Amino acid sequence: MISVVAGVVGALLLSAGLLQGATNPWQGLFTATRGAQIWLHLSPGTSVAQLRSQVGGIQAVAGPYQATAATVAQGSQRTRVELRATPSLPQVGRPLQVSGGWLTPRTPYGVVLEATFAQAIHIGVGDKLVLDNVDETSRLTVPVVGIAETADQGFYPDQTPGLIWVLPGLLRRIEPDTGHTEEVVGLRIANPAADGFIVQQVVTQLGSSAVGGISTWQQVEQSMARRNPLLGLLLALFGLMALGAALLAIINVTSGRVLIRNADLGMLKALGFTPAQVMVVLTAEHAILAGVGVLAGLGAARLLMPVLLGTVPGVSLASAALPGGWTAVIIGATFGAVLLATAAPAWQASRVRPVAAVRALPPRGHLSRLAGTAMAARMPPAVVLGTRAAFVRKLAAALVISGLAIPMLMITIGLGFWSTLDDVQHNPADIGLAASVTVSPGTLTPAQAGRLIQADPQIQAAYSCVRAEALTLGETTTITTLGMGTSARPYPFHVVAGQLYHAPEQAVATQALLTALHLSVGQFVRMWFGGVPVTFHIVGRIIDPQYDGEVLAYGRDTLADEGAPTPIGFYSLILRPGVSPAAAVTRLTRESDGRLDVAQVPNPADQLGIVHVALASLIAVLAVIGLTSLLTASLLGQRDHQRDVTVLRVMGLTPVQVRVALMMRTTVLGLVAVAIGTVAGRLVSMELVNAVSRLYGLGAGLGRPPSAGTLALAVALAISVAALAGILPPGPSSRMPAAAVLGP
Amino acid sequence: MIGAGDRLLLRAAGLTKTFSGDGVRVPAVRGVDLSLRHGEFAAITGPSGSGKSTLLHLLGGLERPTGGEIWLDGARVDQLSQARWAVLRRRRIGFVFQFFNLVSNMTVADNVELAALMGGSNRKQAADRRRELLGELGLAAKADTAPARLSGGEQQRVALARAMANRPALLLADEPTGNLDSAATFSVLRLLARAHADGQAILLVTHDSRVASAADRVISLFDGMVADDAPLGAAGGAAQASEMPLPRVLRLRG
Repeated sequence: MISVVAGVVGALLLSAGLLQGATNPWQGLFTATRGAQIWLHLSPGTSVAQLRSQVGGIQAVAGPYQATAATVAQGSQRTRVELRATPSLPQVGRPLQVSGGWLTPRTPYGVVLEATFAQAIHIGVGDKLVLDNVDETSRLTVPVVGIAETADQGFYPDQTPGLIWVLPGLLRRIEPDTGHTEEVVGLRIANPAADGFIVQQVVTQLGSSAVGGISTWQQVEQSMARRNPLLGLLLALFGLMALGAALLAIINVTSGRVLIRNADLGMLKALGFTPAQVMVVLTAEHAILAGVGVLAGLGAARLLMPVLLGTVPGVSLASAALPGGWTAVIIGATFGAVLLATAAPAWQASRVRPVAAVRALPPRGHLSRLAGTAMAARMPPAVVLGTRAAFVRKLAAALVISGLAIPMLMITIGLGFWSTLDDVQHNPADIGLAASVTVSPGTLTPAQAGRLIQADPQIQAAYSCVRAEALTLGETTTITTLGMGTSARPYPFHVVAGQLYHAPEQAVATQALLTALHLSVGQFVRMWFGGVPVTFHIVGRIIDPQYDGEVLAYGRDTLADEGAPTPIGFYSLILRPGVSPAAAVTRLTRESDGRLDVAQVPNPADQLGIVHVALASLIAVLAVIGLTSLLTASLLGQRDHQRDVTVLRVMGLTPVQVRVALMMRTTVLGLVAVAIGTVAGRLVSMELVNAVSRLYGLGAGLGRPPSAGTLALAVALAISVAALAGILPPGPSSRMPAAAVLGP
Repeated sequence: MIGAGDRLLLRAAGLTKTFSGDGVRVPAVRGVDLSLRHGEFAAITGPSGSGKSTLLHLLGGLERPTGGEIWLDGARVDQLSQARWAVLRRRRIGFVFQFFNLVSNMTVADNVELAALMGGSNRKQAADRRRELLGELGLAAKADTAPARLSGGEQQRVALARAMANRPALLLADEPTGNLDSAATFSVLRLLARAHADGQAILLVTHDSRVASAADRVISLFDGMVADDAPLGAAGGAAQASEMPLPRVLRLRG
């Protein structure tokens, strides 16, 4: 029981932590860095010494740090950064070192990079960085001595510039002109909700001219949240189901444990325990066991988290820290489940008459005609008897089957999510991302750019595209439309309903756009491009998460035909199989001497490695839950059948046959449960993904069934475990001397 | 002894069994020599703890002897695997216990038929044999009842029917009347006597001298060793058993 509670608590904490790290990393980082909720950029020389006494609610002030804008030069590429001078490691808003060390006077020119920025520009500890000041009048090559995380600002590049911590001496070397610097101050406030009010007071105190910029924790949190509504919701649903199933498992094992010990309880009562005392004994015992389990689970989660995170890039230990509330909910729910599960059987046990409880009343039943015939037909008796034993207690069998079928159902759904994710990741074309690289002519002419692209052997196909803003009736904001390829040679969208555009004025659209414009496939829509009306016939529906999922795509020739202004285009490149987008970007940039503007198309699924880990841990929780049900069933069954099994041995069942019979019992239950769970899960999983993606405007068509191989593996595993569970618990089975069992 | 002949059914030589646990070795059976002819009815008596039940379990293969030999119908069986012993019990050895030990979640009929089916009968043969046995034992009306709903005497009769389902050469009975009142004891003994009259070899463990006197021969165990092994002069049916004067048996044990 301790192991079950520990397993469930540990797995829940781990998966919740991973989800937290993946979806809302700010909270954990903020706590770990003792962050400041408000950051101010002030003009140089602004005095903040009095701020704490002037404005109420400020607990601590970070800084002021001298800061300046600069650029990092990497080849021909320049990246804007903010240099922040910190003489020593700050106490408030203390950067959390990920690798390397902090700035010391021994390396006066050393720099520490913010982690997401370092990742984006592919710089690690020990690398050299070329820093220019804004005027490009001074340049320094400096060593990177550390990488650190912070809750001061959002992840790069969502919030530019990249942040670099330096010692004040280096800042003065790079930017001797203090007119080009500013002061950065962080305010840690007592009531985070009062940030707006405090900002107002601070601005009043310092004067608005002194305040160059303000950021509050909400902005940082928002920019850090990798908001992927689809997965957020899926995982929330899945997590909720897992929590429910975990509680079921705990209830299962606890009540099973009380049932198994019914005889001892009867003995206690025979010795003079009152019903109330029996309940107290049971409740206290299980509360203690649950406590030990919870502690073990907490410890395991703490130990395993760094290991798990090692497999997930982009999520740090600090960001995966759970807020106390979550941990409390998980632990509270666990205790609640244990006590609830103890209460009912304990109450029952406390009311049972001592003598009746000492010997559990055996279940009634009879050898079915089928079983008799099967045995007479020389079916192995062990198989027949084991199968029959599975269903002797009908209610118990139903409970075990559902206790196993529900996790199996959810595992199947989880595998469905998994293969959907895999599909999006490996076949980006299915979500409209057939091209992995886009190229703008940059400083080249379109013709030059076209020739370079034509000459590149890595490119399988190039589509000339335009992005044009359009207005429709009744819409106040513009709609981004895409002329992708031509009507004669359309860009290979994955069309989930209808067909692709093959003539001018035909278009395909995403569900979100159709919903926003109250349209459906087959209808017409009129749009204005710089005052020129164009009527599109929507012939198909595609899935494309770009531009908030609102995409209208057509052959770019449509615009020219209608006389609409055509903006400068770009090329969408489909690479030959096996060519990595990064390699293609490098090559094209090199071939064009950096004059082409080459960009890799981000695949939203690439950020979702964390989801795989979260799914895997949820699947592990579910497996533990299923195993718990099985083991409980097995123990209960052995209690029920211990005497009978021994009698059967006396009647001539060999030890192997006894084991086979015990295995058959759980295997048969496992088979039924797995069949129900898998079939239902397969039916539900695609529908669920599609339903949720409809909800989020992506429209149906994204869901994939779990891969047959994985599913078969899961089923085989589940059934083998079910078979083993029949003989694994150290029950009497075939080992105990017959005489010991057959006595009174 | 009708049809008994002098053929030896069971022979044990120098049989020992020592239980060891928690570092303590407890000898239960210490060098027992014993033989039983086909159709013979022998009782093993002795005080509690004298090794009676252990000896019976050894002879039925439920326990493995520490030393000595067991021969069944001229074949040595003490070294057989548990699986081979299981097959022996299915076909040639029937067991009856003090606590009945019926399969609790099967009906009376199922308990008897299951034994027949495991012994290799087909479904019809098993059903016929069950009807025959339950009829003989006066339990035909209880065929579809759960064992737990029967009285002790009835349960023991079902256990007897189950043990006899495959017409075993040897019936091992471990205190079959230990848990029964005198009327039920009488009826079980009468059934044993009838089986014996039909040529059934029976080895009966009991600490009740009146029960023992139903046998042809009484073997007395004391501290795991045979203290006495003597035929009863006027062997007879169970009818006489209840009238058997006590001192005769006491004399034997002494």
